[in-house]
Amino acid sequence: MADTHPANVPAVQINGMNKFYGHFHALKNIQLTVHRGEKVVVCGPSGSGKSTMIRCINRLEEHNSGQITVLGTELNDDVASIDGIRREVGMVFQHFNLFPHMTVLENCVLAPMLVRKTPRAQAEAAAMRYLEKVRIPEQAQKYPGQLSGGQQQRVAIARSLCMEPEILLFDEPTSALDPEMISEVLDVMVHLATEGRTMICVTHEMGFARRVADRVIFMDAGEIVEEAPPETFFQSPSSERTKQFLSQVLGH
Amino acid sequence: MVSLLRQQKIRNILLQALFAGIVLLVVIGGWRNAQHALSSQNVVSGFGFLHKSTGWDVNFSLLPASPNDPYWWFFVIGIVNTLFLGILGLTLATFIGGLVGLFRTSSNDLLQLLGRIYVDFFRNIPLILQVFFWYSLVTNLPAPRNAMEFGPLTLSNRGVYMPALNVGGWHVAGAAVTLLLALALPLWLRTTRRLASPPEQRGALVWGVLGGGLLLAAAILLLGRAPGAALIDPPRLQGLNMRGGLRVSPEFTALLVAIGIYGGAYIGEIVRGGFKAVGKGQTEAAHSLGLSPWQSFSRIRLPLALRAMLPILANQYIWLIKATTLGIAVGFTDFFMIVAVTINQSGQTLEAIAILMVGFLAINLSIAAIFNRINRAIALKGNQLRS
Repeated sequence: MADTHPANVPAVQINGMNKFYGHFHALKNIQLTVHRGEKVVVCGPSGSGKSTMIRCINRLEEHNSGQITVLGTELNDDVASIDGIRREVGMVFQHFNLFPHMTVLENCVLAPMLVRKTPRAQAEAAAMRYLEKVRIPEQAQKYPGQLSGGQQQRVAIARSLCMEPEILLFDEPTSALDPEMISEVLDVMVHLATEGRTMICVTHEMGFARRVADRVIFMDAGEIVEEAPPETFFQSPSSERTKQFLSQVLGH
Repeated sequence: MVSLLRQQKIRNILLQALFAGIVLLVVIGGWRNAQHALSSQNVVSGFGFLHKSTGWDVNFSLLPASPNDPYWWFFVIGIVNTLFLGILGLTLATFIGGLVGLFRTSSNDLLQLLGRIYVDFFRNIPLILQVFFWYSLVTNLPAPRNAMEFGPLTLSNRGVYMPALNVGGWHVAGAAVTLLLALALPLWLRTTRRLASPPEQRGALVWGVLGGGLLLAAAILLLGRAPGAALIDPPRLQGLNMRGGLRVSPEFTALLVAIGIYGGAYIGEIVRGGFKAVGKGQTEAAHSLGLSPWQSFSRIRLPLALRAMLPILANQYIWLIKATTLGIAVGFTDFFMIVAVTINQSGQTLEAIAILMVGFLAINLSIAAIFNRINRAIALKGNQLRS
């Protein structure tokens, strides 16, 4: 990992951020600081703005007011700072979003070669390392459409890792998977969590949150309702809405 | 017996046989009927007329033509003319369509509006009207003495004149083919997976083929140059008419412009549809990896959009090739017009129409075959998840 940023700078700092879709107030006065190396799990009912919030962090969504600072760089209309931030922030999507016309290996080396100007041999070596890390090196020459959902999602994780990002965003990475494939992806994510990279995960996998999160954030109706370490969050949630959500998620 | 008829497979075979039998009967009946009618009118049927000379001339031909030439040679001329008009028209339509499609998918409101007006306007006027419009426009241009000049082009009611090369026809054709190969081969070399080396290490090879091809084309042109004459022969006014240069007849100009502009409107919509078919997720993934807008366009959106466009594009190309038959409306000697005149002059209606149908079938089946080949080569592997 390129350690170019001073350790005391937070990975992500969001200050009074608001987001509207027309008249709909999607995110209300979001206040959030994620320190470097921290693992944060964001949960909440659907439509609560979890995905929108993390998509604002790499500018896939534009915020309307407030401030977002990533690794000390403020996100605004400046194209250079957006590009700079996207280089340091990787994202794993619900629907994998692999490039279907390229092999797994080409998916992995594309961005390092184009954006970081890494020579192909070096980029391929790194890609194979990351494909081994997600336990799928034997599929390198296949196309995404020839893999199962779980395999595709692990390739997507490897593709993000190839850019060696400081921060990894996960947007419901297991929601589109068949139940038997969820664990293979979660295993990879748990392993990643031991490596000191900052991770922000939107997920409904409460077992994963309990195991790896330093902090769990609960959102509802565009607001951050509760923010606590996992033990506190699951044992003694303070808000009524959190209790209700947990009873629905953990109820069976 | 009855139980045999109840079996699905036997039933299917019997039904097929019955249907084929009926078709056969109709064809044989029609054929005998036609023969009978023709012989009672003393018309000699058969393809013997192909070797007789036509006795009439064509107003446009890439190949040498005279009234002494036999019919079969005129059919060759007609097919070549149709292909020439078709290929140039398709190229122009593709170029315009690409631009219009990009306009329509751009984020710029003004460009979007321009693209939309273009499509709505030119797509909704019948092609034959557009052919007539351009034809009357070109034939109402000023006479050569007052011709309008646009750079190297001279527009007059005798046609569009441009500087010509003082080079023999076969050499021009050879150079054109070489030039096409010099442009197409590097494209293939850049993308194919059939070579052992990775694509970005083929830079020298790609540029070598491109440069070598261009040099070869220039050499062929120079070799075919008429001795003693200047290489470039500009059009110039002499008396009441233009001399020298290359004359593009009003008929050809009108058809080319009409097919290009009308086809461009349709192809613009195909291009737009192709880009709309690319999953939003792939674009987002490209952005999130830090790819620039141009990189995500050229590496992700365009390759995926092309795959979505190709099957419909083949359809449109076949349609536009058939549209060249409008040549008869303005008197351009395309394949259809030559067949029509042949029918008039020789009376061999059935034979000429059969040749016409076989000719167009051959052209369009070839286009379909080429596109199927490309489609198969670039088809996405495996099952695709839409997102």
